Amino acid sequence: MARYLFFRLLDMVPTVFLVLTMVFIAMRILPGDPALVALGPNADGGQLEAFREKMGLNEPLGLQYVTFLGNAVRFDFGHSLMSDVPIGTLIANNLPHTIYLTIASVVLGLVMGIPFGVYAATQRNKLPDSALRIYSLIGYAIPDFYLAAVLLIVFSLNLGWFPINGEGSGFWDGLHHIFLPALTLAMLKSAFLGRLTRTSLLEVLGRDYVRTARAKGARESRVIYRHALRNAMLPLSTGIGISILATLSGSVAIELVFNRPGIGRLLINAIQERDYPVIQAGVMMFAFFVILVNLAMDIVYLIADPRIRMKS
Amino acid sequence: MSEALLDIKDLTIEFGSGSQPLRVVDNISFAVSLGETVGIVGESGSGKSMTALSVLRLVPEAARVSGQIIFEGRDLLKLPKREMPAIRGKEIGMIFQEPMSSLNPLMTIGDQIDEAIRLHEDIPAPERRKRVLALLRLVGMPDPENRLSAYPDQFSGGMRQRVMAAIAMACNPKLLIADEPTTALDVTIQAQVLAMMLDIRARFNSSILLITHDLGVVAEICERVVVMYAGRILEDADARSLFSNARHPYTQGLLRSVPTLNDTRKRLYQIPGSVPPAGTIKAGCPFRPRCSVRMERCAVEMPPLRTYDPGHRVACWATAEAAA
Repeated sequence: MARYLFFRLLDMVPTVFLVLTMVFIAMRILPGDPALVALGPNADGGQLEAFREKMGLNEPLGLQYVTFLGNAVRFDFGHSLMSDVPIGTLIANNLPHTIYLTIASVVLGLVMGIPFGVYAATQRNKLPDSALRIYSLIGYAIPDFYLAAVLLIVFSLNLGWFPINGEGSGFWDGLHHIFLPALTLAMLKSAFLGRLTRTSLLEVLGRDYVRTARAKGARESRVIYRHALRNAMLPLSTGIGISILATLSGSVAIELVFNRPGIGRLLINAIQERDYPVIQAGVMMFAFFVILVNLAMDIVYLIADPRIRMKS
Repeated sequence: MSEALLDIKDLTIEFGSGSQPLRVVDNISFAVSLGETVGIVGESGSGKSMTALSVLRLVPEAARVSGQIIFEGRDLLKLPKREMPAIRGKEIGMIFQEPMSSLNPLMTIGDQIDEAIRLHEDIPAPERRKRVLALLRLVGMPDPENRLSAYPDQFSGGMRQRVMAAIAMACNPKLLIADEPTTALDVTIQAQVLAMMLDIRARFNSSILLITHDLGVVAEICERVVVMYAGRILEDADARSLFSNARHPYTQGLLRSVPTLNDTRKRLYQIPGSVPPAGTIKAGCPFRPRCSVRMERCAVEMPPLRTYDPGHRVACWATAEAAA
């Protein structure tokens, strides 16, 4: 197991390297002079030259690349062009909010989606199954920002049950503030996860070992939760991984609509302001997030499935 | 003959609805006495597995089952659904054909056997553990202490079938249903599993309903044999008289198809044709298209099961005519 983890971590090195390289290239092949974009059309030649010197843009490309890699490995992303705040600080201030939103929406999405999927699978082709089908269809079709706006108008503006924006202070106030943004993402996740639960559970319910469980005298609830659902969770965990990653793209819109701090909003603002180092850091954070979630899912598999555990 | 433990009467299993349902088991009746081992023999599609599953009411939901399945005086088909779990595993144990896929891959062997006990008997964990170990020894599992925490994937097919048998026998059921327990196994392992079943029978004195297509297996352990074909019983006799004096042309054909070591014929005998798909024979005897002694009457009317010698029932017009 330790051996497997070691090699799995080793496996991440080339991926991280590739991500860094692509970010570097992307930033260099973007049209326009970064100095000109950063300082605006009114900057004179001296200011531009000073800026290039400061950012290391006059160095040979190879040297820039090596410096970039070295800084990235030390988590030194430089300073924001707009506010001159170290990017490490920006990320430290924003990342926890995005992680918090991710956890809240994934937990809520699982709590909503899995029981719905189980219920639909056990009531196949009956009303709950059709209800899930319609719910999923709406969930697949509706854009996150639109759903966010609808929920905001209904529950915050009209009913006044939830705050309109911000992240709140303290645990309970924070929970109150995060509920609607998390619910927005959770509804989309549960549409996906509910459907996936139904499909995997139906597949597993036809397996021979489920019949064995019934033949032993297990009652239907035990057959479903102890035997079938545990096996159905294996394919489902891949879906949960995908769903966690979808929070990233989701967080961009959600953090804007609900005016919450977070990596998504940081990135959007940076793009609007052409704050290159921040964009660069934001993209890298997203990439690392994807790599980490994939790693986490592999570890979940390892723990959950004795067949994989045995092989590694 | 002693009292019947299991008495199946007019059992019919159909799939689909409307005017043309698919009838996979057609009005069959037979009984299993206390301590008796009965074999149901038939080719694929003869309805023998459906018959076995219907006893525990484990047939697919889409199936419609009618008739009576009387177990210890109670009609299992009339029992409320929620009362079936108390019978399954406790009164009637079952072993399935596919040892490779019949065990839960995420649970240890020990837990899966333990569950079979815990579901029916309220006894403390240490005693259950002792029972699990005893069961594993009974089914011939070497080194059982170290196997408890193993997962099914660490076992071969034969070993898994032993675990299945341990699960089926966990609560000392009165009836053991074994649906092709040796089919998926190598020949040498087949012999071991059969020996294990004989051992189980000797110790528990359980009745056994054995489903198989293998006449060799039947000869090995069965006292009585029910021959099924296309959902119907064609012959039902005690094993000795079936092997020495088979009366139905189908059974005779089956016996001729068994290879023997001192066989000098170049080619093994085979019954011409193949089993008709369920529901294609609308009237008359389902074996008629392949039968060498068929008569006009066979196409019109299904022959009823007629008793010849005591305990020897045959459904064949030609047999009836020859006997008359």
